[in-house]
Amino acid sequence: MSQDVVRAVEPASESGLHEKGLGKGTVGVLGTVVIGISCIAPAYTLTAALGPTVAEVGTSLPAIFLAGFLPMLLVALGYRELNRAMPDSGTSFTWATRAFGPYIGWMGGWGLIAATVIVLSNLAAVAVDFFYLLISQLTGAAWIAELTRNLWVNIPTTLVFVAAATWVSYRGLNATKSFQYLLVGFQVAVLLLFAVLCFTNPEPFDRTPITLEMFNPAAVESFTAFAAGISLSIFIFWGWDVTLTMNEETTDPAKVPGRAAALTILIIIGLYMAISLGVIYYAGIGSEGLGAGNPENQESIFAVLSGPVMGPLAILMSLAILSSSAASLQSTMVSPARTILAMGYYRALPESYSRISPRFMSPSVATITAAAAASGFYVVTRLLSENALWDTITALGMMICFYYGLTALACVWYFRTELFDSLHNVIFRFLAPLVGGVVLLVMFVRTCIDSMNPDYGSGSSIGSVGMVFVLGIGVLLLGVGIMLYMRIRHPAFFRGQTIKTRR
Amino acid sequence: MKLLIGYTADERGAEAIELASALLRTSADAELELAIILPEQTPFQAVYPGGDHGFSTVLSAQVDRWAEQALELVPPAITARVVARAVPSVAQGLLELAAERDAQGVVLGGRTRHKAGFFAPGAVASSLLHASPLPVAMSTPAGVASLRRASVRIERLTAFVGDKPGAAEVIGHAVRSAARLQVPLRVATLVTDQPDGSADTEQVNRSRGLLEELVAGLDERVKPQVVTGGSIDEAIESIGWLDGELAVFGSSRLAPPRRLFLGPKAQRMLRRLPVPLAVVPHQA
Repeated sequence: MSQDVVRAVEPASESGLHEKGLGKGTVGVLGTVVIGISCIAPAYTLTAALGPTVAEVGTSLPAIFLAGFLPMLLVALGYRELNRAMPDSGTSFTWATRAFGPYIGWMGGWGLIAATVIVLSNLAAVAVDFFYLLISQLTGAAWIAELTRNLWVNIPTTLVFVAAATWVSYRGLNATKSFQYLLVGFQVAVLLLFAVLCFTNPEPFDRTPITLEMFNPAAVESFTAFAAGISLSIFIFWGWDVTLTMNEETTDPAKVPGRAAALTILIIIGLYMAISLGVIYYAGIGSEGLGAGNPENQESIFAVLSGPVMGPLAILMSLAILSSSAASLQSTMVSPARTILAMGYYRALPESYSRISPRFMSPSVATITAAAAASGFYVVTRLLSENALWDTITALGMMICFYYGLTALACVWYFRTELFDSLHNVIFRFLAPLVGGVVLLVMFVRTCIDSMNPDYGSGSSIGSVGMVFVLGIGVLLLGVGIMLYMRIRHPAFFRGQTIKTRR
Repeated sequence: MKLLIGYTADERGAEAIELASALLRTSADAELELAIILPEQTPFQAVYPGGDHGFSTVLSAQVDRWAEQALELVPPAITARVVARAVPSVAQGLLELAAERDAQGVVLGGRTRHKAGFFAPGAVASSLLHASPLPVAMSTPAGVASLRRASVRIERLTAFVGDKPGAAEVIGHAVRSAARLQVPLRVATLVTDQPDGSADTEQVNRSRGLLEELVAGLDERVKPQVVTGGSIDEAIESIGWLDGELAVFGSSRLAPPRRLFLGPKAQRMLRRLPVPLAVVPHQA
């Protein structure tokens, strides 16, 4: 039978696994842009991040959104290099392990898991808010929208949303092309409509003229506010790097990814500028009433503003955000599940996490673990924080800065012997990831220090330490704890027996 | 003879291998293709934040391990190969592979599920039963238990026919299979009692006449049998099964030519079926 076994190995190449299947060469620029925008999920990111960012930087919102893109771009360039050099691994965990060894690699993987688990809990919460808002708008019963503030309604509904996304993800069901086009087109159209209605409103709540100063990052009052603003705006571009890493799926790998990435970012920045300027123009940044600086409005700015701005059309906004966050909920579930799977496979986590369902060909234990972690995180934050969404988004910004920064530096270190071999290497393997990585890690450290202040973020605190700090650092320390436990119980990964570090 | 198994690395897959081994036992050049169907990676199932996260590496290693384990389950007399392929639809992929590899039938491991009194095959089995131009054999845990009691050998075939066109075809298919497997064949028709509970003698006689006509001139090991009972369930229980029996059904006349389709009566029968089954497509 040995001959048969040998033949059994052969089909793996035939399966197209190593070539990523049959989707080869089918996506053009437009398709890639649609994929990019759907990963960014602008309707969701704006409603979640706009309020907290205004709270930090006031009218400099457009500037900070622009500035937040730079480190994202620099890091994404480094990502692309790593992805080309190690196409078989494709995750922060393996990259950082190969560059820096098992400990930092482990924490890189943990950072990604933590960030995605946090965003899952936030996505589910936003979806639930707009689910009740949508029902309320459909039925005209205002009390239904308030249901989401009742923890006995909110928490179970959120858990149901997470469970549904888990089921879809575990069964390996996926959105089709036309569905993605529809979702993205609808989202962009509704956001543009919102921006137009903001500017054309005859009686803005707090008319604030647009000035050039709003585009000047240097106008942000303090470095604390700047750091907080950057880590929040990293979040709103999170997902964009997908367009850069798409290669063989595109009709022309030499041109399509670059063009699509540029076009995506132009559309996204245009959209973000239109919305942020529209919100500032219409609502101002005051902390009263509809003002974007009002802590009451931070959780979900569109939930508050879409009614006054859009009138009866506000229902479209609810629909756009509900669909965008629900779709993201399902596609985001895949990332932590796959990273947990890879960590189990390389014995950085117990082996059972590497189980794949033989029927659905999806991570089984890992998917359920990711869902359970997201649910647990949500319940804890919801119970502890007065303003859970705000605090989770800020903690999420921190976590993204951490693992993106780490991965960018992993790029520099991984290629350390060849950084100056060519101009290409100097730019894409050295300067871009170095600057991007350092900036993000500085933002991470700064946000950590600032968030110890109990007044930081929504102002929730535990034992006179800010809630965001407790969440962010708590999650990272939990990771350190699990890592040390694994080091003692299953040392193979930490001895470099499962993944070889480079040189 | 070559069969293709829609293999999953769980009990269903192992059961399908047992059934296929029994079906191939008497073939001189017995071959098995174990098809592991993977989901197609399409760019529109975007993962956020981006990247494959090492999944294809892990999956591909897993498939290699599954392949080795699967081959260990195949008896040494059978030449077996594993083929893994990513396709958009499992059923379509199995049919494509079967055509490509010249397989003469498809074998699945199944679970019985019931919906409103009918046998409800899983999504894959269901689309295969609707679209396959090849015979499809399906095991169930009860069916495999029966096979095991007969030391994984097919001991007899029972072909179920109605009074619809195509019965001769099903019988012809069953006769050839029975000859190949060197086992007797029973050709059965189910007649349920009349609503008032009395036997439908007229229908029984008509069915008996029809069956005798159909098997006339065939091998003497082909035995016709009219089974009666208050309901299909009762009838299927009273028919008497050997360990290692295989039930053969024809596709319904509703199906387009060369496409399998189980009729409602067959689906109701499958609910209580304690043996594996094979469904043969309509040829006309």
